[in-house]
Amino acid sequence: MIPKQSLVKIHDWLWEIPKSYRHDMRVPARVWTSEKMLEDILGDRSLEQAVNVTTLPGIAKAALVMPDVHEGYGFPIGGVAAMRWPDGVISPGGIGYDINCGVRLLKSELSFNDVAAHLSSLARELYHEVPSGVGRGGTIRLNIIELDRVLKDGVGWAIKHGYGEDQDARYLESSGALADADPSAVSEHAKNRGRDQLGTMGAGNHFVEVDKVTQIFDSSTAKTFGLWQNQIVILIHCGSRGLGHQVATDYIRLMQKIMPRYHISLPDRELACTPLSSLEGKNYFNAMAAAANFAWANRQLITHEIRNSWRKEFGASASQLSILYDVAHNIAKIEEHIIDDKPQKLIMHRKGATRAFGPGHPEVIEEYRAVGQPVIIPGSMGTASYVLAGTKQAMKESFGSSCHGAGRRMSRHAAKRAVQGGALRDQLAKQGIHIQTGSLSGLAEEAPLAYKNIDDVVDVVSKAGLAKKVARLEPLVVVKG
Amino acid sequence: MPHQILPHTADVRLLVENETVEGLFIEALQGMTEIMKPIEEINARPASRRISLKAADSTALLVDFLNEVLSMTEINHETYTDIVWQHFSERRLTVKLIGRSVAGFAKNIKAATYHEADIRKNPKGNFETVIIFDI
Repeated sequence: MIPKQSLVKIHDWLWEIPKSYRHDMRVPARVWTSEKMLEDILGDRSLEQAVNVTTLPGIAKAALVMPDVHEGYGFPIGGVAAMRWPDGVISPGGIGYDINCGVRLLKSELSFNDVAAHLSSLARELYHEVPSGVGRGGTIRLNIIELDRVLKDGVGWAIKHGYGEDQDARYLESSGALADADPSAVSEHAKNRGRDQLGTMGAGNHFVEVDKVTQIFDSSTAKTFGLWQNQIVILIHCGSRGLGHQVATDYIRLMQKIMPRYHISLPDRELACTPLSSLEGKNYFNAMAAAANFAWANRQLITHEIRNSWRKEFGASASQLSILYDVAHNIAKIEEHIIDDKPQKLIMHRKGATRAFGPGHPEVIEEYRAVGQPVIIPGSMGTASYVLAGTKQAMKESFGSSCHGAGRRMSRHAAKRAVQGGALRDQLAKQGIHIQTGSLSGLAEEAPLAYKNIDDVVDVVSKAGLAKKVARLEPLVVVKG
Repeated sequence: MPHQILPHTADVRLLVENETVEGLFIEALQGMTEIMKPIEEINARPASRRISLKAADSTALLVDFLNEVLSMTEINHETYTDIVWQHFSERRLTVKLIGRSVAGFAKNIKAATYHEADIRKNPKGNFETVIIFDI
C-alpha cells in the first residue's frame, strides 16, 4: 500500500504521487478525490496500480485516477492514461476485458404520476424482454458473416435491421461505430463466444433501471438535454459480453509474449502492451474497435427490447423512448489534446472512466455543443445516478475525462456477509424500488453498502470542475441478471 | 487448504496450492468452477474438449489454460470436472477436458488475469499462486 505521506496535495480535490516516488515512473500519478475518500482509496492497491501505469512507454503528462477508483488488475478501475501517438503503447489491460462497457440513458415523455401504477408490471415485462444472467443467449444467433457486419458497422447494423430509429445513432458517442473496426482481427473463439449474445445484458453489475428525475441542478443544460423534474428515464449498463472478453484475453496473451521484441519490460504482466504503430498494436486497436461496435449494437438491441416492453405496458400509442446519450467507459481512442500548449494526438485509454468533452468540442453533436457532452454516471443499485456535462476544464486537466460510477469499496464476499439478498430486496421494496433479478446472491454482492457514496464521488468531479451537475436520478425499477 | 478465496475489492482473488504443478492446474480449474457455480441441466450430455497450448513459462501456461477453459465453457455451455493429461511440461500442455453440458452458471467470469499470478514454492514445499479473476 502507498502511504498517505507519499502524496502531495495540489488542492482540495487533487493529489499527486510525484515521479520521484519510484525509480521506474515516467510521469506522476494524479488522483482526484476528497481527503475523506482518499483514506478508502489507500486501503487497497489502486494507487500502486496507478504507479505501475506511469511506467508504460509513451505515457504523457500523468496517469490519472478518478474518485470512484478501486483496485483492478493491471490498471486500476477508474484510470485514464494518454500515450503519445503513434509510437506510444496500447495496452489491452488499460481498456479491460469488458470492452466498451458503457451506459445509455433513454428519455420518456411520461412523468412519475403517469407510470406509478405500472412499475411492478413494467419490471416484470423488462425482466422477461431483456435476456440476462450467465450463459443465457439472446433471441438472435448470428452466422459469422452477419456477425462480421455487426463488428464493422455497430449500431448502423442494428438500425438497418429494424432495431432502432434512424436518428438513434446520432445520440451515441462516436455515433455507435468506430471506423477502425476490423472483424478479421477478431478470433474465431471471440466470435463464437459472442454470436448468441447480442441483445443480452449479462450479469454482475450490469442492469436496466427505470429512474425518476428528482433534482435539476442546471435548468438551462437540462433543457438542452431534454430532462425535466419528475420525468421517467431508463438507464442501460452493459458491454461487449463474451466477445469483448475474448478479444482482451487473446491480445493480452499475445502482447505479453512479444513485448521483449519491443524491449518493453513492465512491473505487471497484465499491463502487456506494444507500440500502437506495431502490427500487433494495430491489430488489437482494430479488434478492440470491432468489440466496441458489438457493445454499441448490444445496447441498441437492448434499447429495442425496452421499447417493446414500454409499448406493451403503455400501449402502441405511447410516446417513444428517445436516447439522451450513450457513453463508453472501457475504451481506447485516438484523440487530440493540448500538451505543453500544443495540440497532440494521443492514444487515450479509459478504464472505468467516462469521456467528458466540454463545450465547443467538434465531437460533441451540435444539439449539445454549447453545453458539453452528456456524462452519465450510474450509482450503485438502489441509489441515485447523475447526468453531468463535460467542461473545458476537463479538456485541460483530465484529457476530457470524468468518473464512471460509484466505485466499489467492499469485496463481493464482504457484501454477502453484510447483507442477504432477500432482505435487501425487501428493504429496497420498502423504499419503493421494484427489483427483478435472477440471483439473490448476485443482488447482495451489488448492495449499496458495497459501493462508495455516489453523491461524494460526483461532488469531487463537480467541485474539481471535471464535469458539472445537470440532474439527479433515483431508481424505481432495477432489472439484473 | 488446496484453494481459498482471498479479499479483492471488485474481483475474485483465488489462492491455489498443490504438491505438483499439474496438481496446481487441477486445483485452479476446480476453484474456478466453484466460483462459477454451474447450474445443472436435466439430461446433461457428456462433453470432451481438447486443449493444446504453449506459453513463456508455467505461470502464463496456467493463466492461458484457465482462459481457454473459460472460452470452451461459454462457447459450448459446458462445465469441466476432470483433465486427461496428454502432454505436460513447463511451457506446453495438451489435455482432454472431461465434463458435461449445463443450463448456465450463477457467476460470470470474464477472464483469468496475469496480475499477481506467479507460481512459486511456498515454505511447505508446495507450489502456490494467486489468480485474480475479472468478474
